[in-house]
Amino acid sequence: MYDNDDKPPLFSSWNIWYVLVVLILVALILFFYYLTKKFS
Amino acid sequence: MRPFDWIVLAGTLILIILYGVYKSRGSKDLEGYFLSNRSMPWYIILLSIMGTQASAVTFLAAPGQAYTDGMRFVQYYFGLPLAAIVICISFAPVFSRLKVYTAYEYLENRFDAKTRTFTSLLFLLQRGLSTGISIFAPSLILSVLFGWNIYLTNLLMGGLLIIYTVTGGAKSVAYTQQLQFFIIMLALFLAGYYMVSQLPEGIGFTDALTVGGKLGRFNVITTGFEDGSFDWGDRYNIFSGIIGGFFLALSYFGTDQSQVGRYLTAKNLKESRTGLLMNGIVKVPMQFLILLLGVLVFAFYQFHKAPAFFNQYEITRLEKSQHKDKLNAFQQQLSAIDEKKLSVLGDYTKDGNNDGMFAQLSKLQDSVNVIRTGIRQLVKENGGSDNDTNYIFLRFVIDYLPEGLVGLIIAVIFLASWGSIAAAVNSLASSTVIDIHKKYFTRATRGDYSYSKIYTIVWSLFCIGVAMFVSNWSSSLIEVVNILGSLFYGTILGVFLVAFYGKKVKGNAVFTAAVITEIVIIALFILNEYDTISLGFLWLNMIGALMVYLLAIILQITVYNRRSSLR
Repeated sequence: MYDNDDKPPLFSSWNIWYVLVVLILVALILFFYYLTKKFS
Repeated sequence: MRPFDWIVLAGTLILIILYGVYKSRGSKDLEGYFLSNRSMPWYIILLSIMGTQASAVTFLAAPGQAYTDGMRFVQYYFGLPLAAIVICISFAPVFSRLKVYTAYEYLENRFDAKTRTFTSLLFLLQRGLSTGISIFAPSLILSVLFGWNIYLTNLLMGGLLIIYTVTGGAKSVAYTQQLQFFIIMLALFLAGYYMVSQLPEGIGFTDALTVGGKLGRFNVITTGFEDGSFDWGDRYNIFSGIIGGFFLALSYFGTDQSQVGRYLTAKNLKESRTGLLMNGIVKVPMQFLILLLGVLVFAFYQFHKAPAFFNQYEITRLEKSQHKDKLNAFQQQLSAIDEKKLSVLGDYTKDGNNDGMFAQLSKLQDSVNVIRTGIRQLVKENGGSDNDTNYIFLRFVIDYLPEGLVGLIIAVIFLASWGSIAAAVNSLASSTVIDIHKKYFTRATRGDYSYSKIYTIVWSLFCIGVAMFVSNWSSSLIEVVNILGSLFYGTILGVFLVAFYGKKVKGNAVFTAAVITEIVIIALFILNEYDTISLGFLWLNMIGALMVYLLAIILQITVYNRRSSLR
């Protein structure tokens, strides 16, 4: 029942996924900072 | 509610129940019932994780929170993506390799039976009580707004989902969460659209954001520093969000069976990891958009007369009380301010960048805040609940949205509740069967499936019972019990951190450290409640986790290693 496949989708390594998640978080925080400054 | 609202509400709820029962086919043994035969793809895992985390209060409280306090609540979720990464690296591979049914099962492999039982009991206590509140909180709001009987509403909120949760287990929970999610997103999108479309002519989406922002509601990023020093009591800022939120999310997604049980249903580690990481990517923007609804409601009420207090039930009580004259005076002052606001905003379409206009508006808003504080004080003196945050969004929905959409939004409240309650009940049953019943009462596998169904019913009834019991209490209890998770999560997380990153620490040291830490955390919480210290509840997770970790290492070196060397 349990399949042991652990090859990440799209990228060759899970580490690339982890970096991508961190980069997206940083980008969101910067975007929110920009919105805070723009609208406040 | 009007007739078409009732039809939409009943139709949506029946659809979910029938879909859940239809999807229940194929759950014939323990692995099928609690883990969907470990067959789920990543997108079902993602929606199931999101559906479990987002309860009805998320959709009611978040827009209200943005209305009263601004968007800064979104920072609470900043630690979540980082926690998802740690779980993918450390937690998920171990759970998947050992093919555990519950997270606590692993603790017996790593430490001993008492540590497993202690953490699973902490989970059962915390999750059982908080699920009861998850039933009660939206029921209270609906019963107040529509005059429904609170006990009957509790029964509908916590009872109907039993039909598909008992018959189908984890598989039905996951598939209904998927359908629920799409209905919830559709309804919220429509609500946002109607909000903007009902703004005065010439005022659009970005104008609404500008008005909300200039009046302090677009404070998405805050630092928590005031007069050069950090305010540890400030609940939501970028530091408490990233650090405190990280520990809270790590505890919740890594050690709470209601979440671990979702990604254990994945067909392999790859699907678990992908679901967890995708949740880390989409959760923050999704929560941002839900909070944005609150800013839009706030902007909307700058152009329309806002209720003096959004919980109309309390206003009706005040009108019949000795405070009615004071209330009338406040309401007259509010009407005068509303007229001034409209006159000031009349210039907005001519010049949207007029700083003098926003300065005037800001002063008027300060006056509104003072009057609202005065009304809240009156409500409190009258023996009512002075917090109307959870009523803001629904008050707008009832007063301004068209027939049918009101029914759909009320259905959303039920569906969001069902998504998190069903997952919680399923996890409570799995932990009871796997960590307690099979361990201490019978190890035989025959009848496990039947026991699982019985425990699912028992926990459902327990949670409804908690909801019924607290229905007699003050509604301010909701806030206290929302913090309940932080009282236990830190300790549970600490035990898991020692398991993963404290290889030389053994069962007795971690067990003693966990018991001492739990006592300290409860003491800190009580001191904070009595204003002896000032500590935002998010910090309790970090303190609890680090204290268990460090104390377990110290105890292992100074007490338990010494004892074994003396023998």
